[in-house]
Amino acid sequence: MNKKIFIALALILVFCGSALSQTGVKKKRPLPYEYGRVIIDNYSDKANLAPVVFEHWIHRSMFTCRVCHVDVGFAMKAGATGITAADNARGYYCGTCHNGKRVVDGKTVFQACSRKVNLEDEKRCVRCHSYGEKVASDFDFFKFSEPLPKERFGNGLDWEKSEELGLIKPASFLEGVSTSKGNAFVVQKDFALNPKVEGMPDIIFSHKKHTVWNGCELCHPEIFMGVKKGTVRYSMVDISQGKSCGVCHTTVAFPLTDCQRCHSKPVS
Amino acid sequence: MPTCLMRKGTRRNERGLLLLVLACGVLLLGNTASAQVYLPKPLPEPSEYGKVILDNYSTTGPGAVVFDHWLHRSKFTCRLCHVDVGFAMQAKATGIRASTNREGFHCGACHDGKKLFEGRPIFAACSDAANDQQCDRCHSLGKKGARKYEYKEFTAKFPKGFYGVNWEAAERSGVIKPVDFVEGLSVKKAPMRSREDFTIKAGYSWVHPINFSHEKHSIWNGCELCHPEIFPTAQKGTIHFSMFSNIEGRYCGACHGKVAFPLNNCQKCHPRGPLWAP
Amino acid sequence: MFKAKFKAKIIAVLLFMGLVGLCGMRAIGGPQSSAAQADHPAHETWRKEFDDVCSKTQDAMTFSQEELTDLIRRCDALLPQIKKLDESQKKVYMGRLRMCRGLYAYVLDAKRNEKK
Repeated sequence: MNKKIFIALALILVFCGSALSQTGVKKKRPLPYEYGRVIIDNYSDKANLAPVVFEHWIHRSMFTCRVCHVDVGFAMKAGATGITAADNARGYYCGTCHNGKRVVDGKTVFQACSRKVNLEDEKRCVRCHSYGEKVASDFDFFKFSEPLPKERFGNGLDWEKSEELGLIKPASFLEGVSTSKGNAFVVQKDFALNPKVEGMPDIIFSHKKHTVWNGCELCHPEIFMGVKKGTVRYSMVDISQGKSCGVCHTTVAFPLTDCQRCHSKPVS
Repeated sequence: MPTCLMRKGTRRNERGLLLLVLACGVLLLGNTASAQVYLPKPLPEPSEYGKVILDNYSTTGPGAVVFDHWLHRSKFTCRLCHVDVGFAMQAKATGIRASTNREGFHCGACHDGKKLFEGRPIFAACSDAANDQQCDRCHSLGKKGARKYEYKEFTAKFPKGFYGVNWEAAERSGVIKPVDFVEGLSVKKAPMRSREDFTIKAGYSWVHPINFSHEKHSIWNGCELCHPEIFPTAQKGTIHFSMFSNIEGRYCGACHGKVAFPLNNCQKCHPRGPLWAP
Repeated sequence: MFKAKFKAKIIAVLLFMGLVGLCGMRAIGGPQSSAAQADHPAHETWRKEFDDVCSKTQDAMTFSQEELTDLIRRCDALLPQIKKLDESQKKVYMGRLRMCRGLYAYVLDAKRNEKK
């Protein structure tokens, strides 16, 4: 008798359970200036500050992905690094550049999270702790993006071409922090990945295009462990959930809706 | 017979019977509840189908917005709005504000007072200019006479089907020519070859298979409207969903329950009927 | 009574030896408290070693298996030194060392696989 009741309850739970998951729906496309926005909210609440809003587009125009995610050491998921005000004040993480001394593009970078905070500092704090607040930024997306080649999705900009043409010059070396100098990477040649679905164009993967921004250790081995091509199968389901290619190509690099950027080899 | 006078065996039997009745009752209730969910919702009038009420800031602004899909889908493909402009397909998910409209996003991507359609400039949405405010054309919930186009007159010449307009036939016959590219908004891309039609086996043996046509869908949607957000994989058989999910508004139900032909029209997908009949 | 006195003597001798030893260690630059690290030039050695080992990541593909093995060994040797750093430094450099060592191990794996 107990078994029957258990089965009945289980059935009801199953019917209710599937309503809670959120796949199979079309979400909004983030606006060009919103794409790549990261909200960091580990400890801001405890300090009575609004969560931090980090805009990728401002930073990636000045530095490669590698500088922040390898040399400085940020994780690739919001909240995963565990940045504290103390870390910043000591000159780590955000404080690596945001220390009131480092000069970038002729401007001194404002200090993040100083040890002693007084009332005048509030204006400085809200420059980052701005979630939900109306804070004027030094950087205007429209002005910034106007001269750059356009693309369909994400920030609406072709970052790859912008870097190629020299319209942006992201630095790959940070004085006092970075170890490797220069971009002379010896990498594999471009190669094709065959999709499982017949009729879909092959994916042409270019190591060169990726190492310009990432170096080697950003992806290997943590994001891509396989040493032999073909041993690890990447599915679009996994990628769209933020694994492998999806670590970058869902939130910061061009998104997955831009099919032809990867599936670019026509099927003969 | 009072329990104290019953024999032990019969008391156990009575308890067992009670439990059995309770269990059956629960199962029946559960089944009835789930059966309700397996049936598509009753349909509104065709003129109301696809109507979206945007009511995020109605208490502070000029009132709720009424968006009729029939007006826009006769002029543009689904892809243009849901991919290039970037509207979500769920209530409250896009985050449209007067400020984003004025910046040239969301509604303001076309409703900017400058872009031309059929030779005429499209009125600006949420315009700041005092003499150019046509707020009630969109913020029209409950307001009579505010809207320019009415369903009956507008769709009078369109071919009709099982329920309202047969959009597929309308597009095929050329009665409507939905625009898929807007200069300054869309980016030209190398076209991808559409896959052949294929059959999807239903999860239950007593349900007839579904005929799916990529071609019919990609006319309106391109590839990126569905892939990868609605259907994360193009490989058949890797994601499992049921009519339950469709009725909830996911997968096929993301469109076919709100805007595209409704799920009540079983034969459109299950050409031999939904249920197996000997 | 004799036993207690003897015990006290032993303890005194041991303490004295310990004190001498500690001073001696300081003189030759052995392990010190982290507070003193910032001032003492010896703390730079781990940083120099780290910079030397992990600056070669972009050339990883050109190294031989032996060179890669040696780099990995040097990374492993750095780990206990990094674990002794202050909270923020430790957090940052543990992550950086992990990525650096991980890459060398990955490339070594790839090369071994190639040979098969």
